[in-house]
Amino acid sequence: MFLTREEERALDGELGPAVALAMRILVKLGDLYGAERLVPIESAHVSGISYKTGGDAALEFLRELHQMGARVAVHSTTNPCGFDERILPLLDLPEEVVRRQRELVDLYGRLGIARTLTCTPYYLRRPRPGAHLAWAESSAVVYANSVAGACTNREGAPSALAAAIVGRTPDHSLHRPENRQPGMAFEVRFRPVDEVELWAVGFLVGQVAGEAIPLITGLKGLSDWEFKGLGAAMASGGMTAMFILAEEGGGGASRGLEKVQIDRGEVRDVMDRLSSADEPELVFIGCPHCSREELRLIAALLRGRRVREDRRLWICTSRHLRDACPGLVKAIEASGALVLADMCVVVSWVERLGVRTVATNSPKAAYYLPGLSGVEVRLASLRECIELACSRDPSQ
Amino acid sequence: MSRRPGEVVLKGKGVVEGHVIGEALVSSMPISFLGGVDPLTGRVVEKGHDLEGECLAGRVLCFPHGKGSTVGSYVLLALRKRGLAPLAIVNEVADQIVVVGAIIAQIPMVVGVDLSALRTGDLLEVDGSKGTVRVLRPCS
Repeated sequence: MFLTREEERALDGELGPAVALAMRILVKLGDLYGAERLVPIESAHVSGISYKTGGDAALEFLRELHQMGARVAVHSTTNPCGFDERILPLLDLPEEVVRRQRELVDLYGRLGIARTLTCTPYYLRRPRPGAHLAWAESSAVVYANSVAGACTNREGAPSALAAAIVGRTPDHSLHRPENRQPGMAFEVRFRPVDEVELWAVGFLVGQVAGEAIPLITGLKGLSDWEFKGLGAAMASGGMTAMFILAEEGGGGASRGLEKVQIDRGEVRDVMDRLSSADEPELVFIGCPHCSREELRLIAALLRGRRVREDRRLWICTSRHLRDACPGLVKAIEASGALVLADMCVVVSWVERLGVRTVATNSPKAAYYLPGLSGVEVRLASLRECIELACSRDPSQ
Repeated sequence: MSRRPGEVVLKGKGVVEGHVIGEALVSSMPISFLGGVDPLTGRVVEKGHDLEGECLAGRVLCFPHGKGSTVGSYVLLALRKRGLAPLAIVNEVADQIVVVGAIIAQIPMVVGVDLSALRTGDLLEVDGSKGTVRVLRPCS
């Protein structure tokens, strides 16, 4: 890989041990993936923030980086952590776990990373089209590439952190225009009835596409939150980092590509496999974190309704949006629901609530929750989720 | 293939420098370091894994490639700090989790090696600069 003189000096340790270590990671990975140089990035988004998933291994690495004097060189943001301070009494976590989660978040802050604690950093600052990024968090990667038109590979927790410290990333894969072309054509041959059916299409596409960029036809009139969930599902079903939505016929773009047809039957099978529970004790919306549009929709659905005494309804969003939409938050919480920030149920300790069943509209959450928290999941649309959470009788 | 002492030299690509001699621990399955390996004991805890219960400490860990969360890289560092890290890592395919983990934990690493010639218990010489793995003494 070609390095500028300045980059050589950074690698040799002239800018300190933390930059040298970060450079070493980037150069090795660049060599591995055939990059010829590093490119400057506009921003980095770092994962591995939840103490539940990262544990002491992540904490020790962050302590070490901090001792080395590491600082990020570009605008950098963090993924959600394991809890919103508001629900700490409910989780009843050991003191030590709470302390270590706080320390981990604090260490990211000390490196100069904005403690955004959200999986939707693009709602805080939208990447410029064509900008190079180094983002971890697979759902944000798909959004950045496919909706915002920026360029990022699917970084891991350490490689995104290394890129944040250096302010550069190896120039390969999705940073190169020639690699941003579709590799497999999908034709959706039915009209999804709701967002969860749409997102299950995404999950299936992700499973089938492998490393290819999917070109999808047959989906029309999607709103931003539907796009967001579609990409998130693709990234969790497989390794998709970018997709392209095309007009009918693909406008010639699908010529020469392997073609896959998707029918409702297969999509319902995907949903059945992700869904094993019936009656949920916890209803979770916000994987990825809710946008303003979703908060509006949820507030409208909850108007005059009351969450059942024996159920919980948790809506996860970014602290940024929660602070920006106090009216919507108030309207949602009037029902007994909680609007939570900084966290994601998937990387939290919901099993500590005694909850064994969770309903969600997110195939991504449905895919990860059984393994990470040992709960059973019911996959249902937002509308159904609200019904499941609320009393039948609106006067109650 | 002949397995006489010193005759088997496998050529791969060196990823992390370092020259070590140690006993091989060979798996035919990918390893998830996050969740699959206990950072406090160095043992493989993934149910049904062919290395389940094995301790990685001080052995030349040979497996196809990593899998799972990228936070797994940090587990290799945690093992290193407790003296429980593998002596070296030999992979068939390089993946980002293991490569980054080996860099930050300074574990000599060679990739692109056909593991079919290696057995658990073989005495191996790993050269992370040259990218070679030599079987010094096959297990009996």
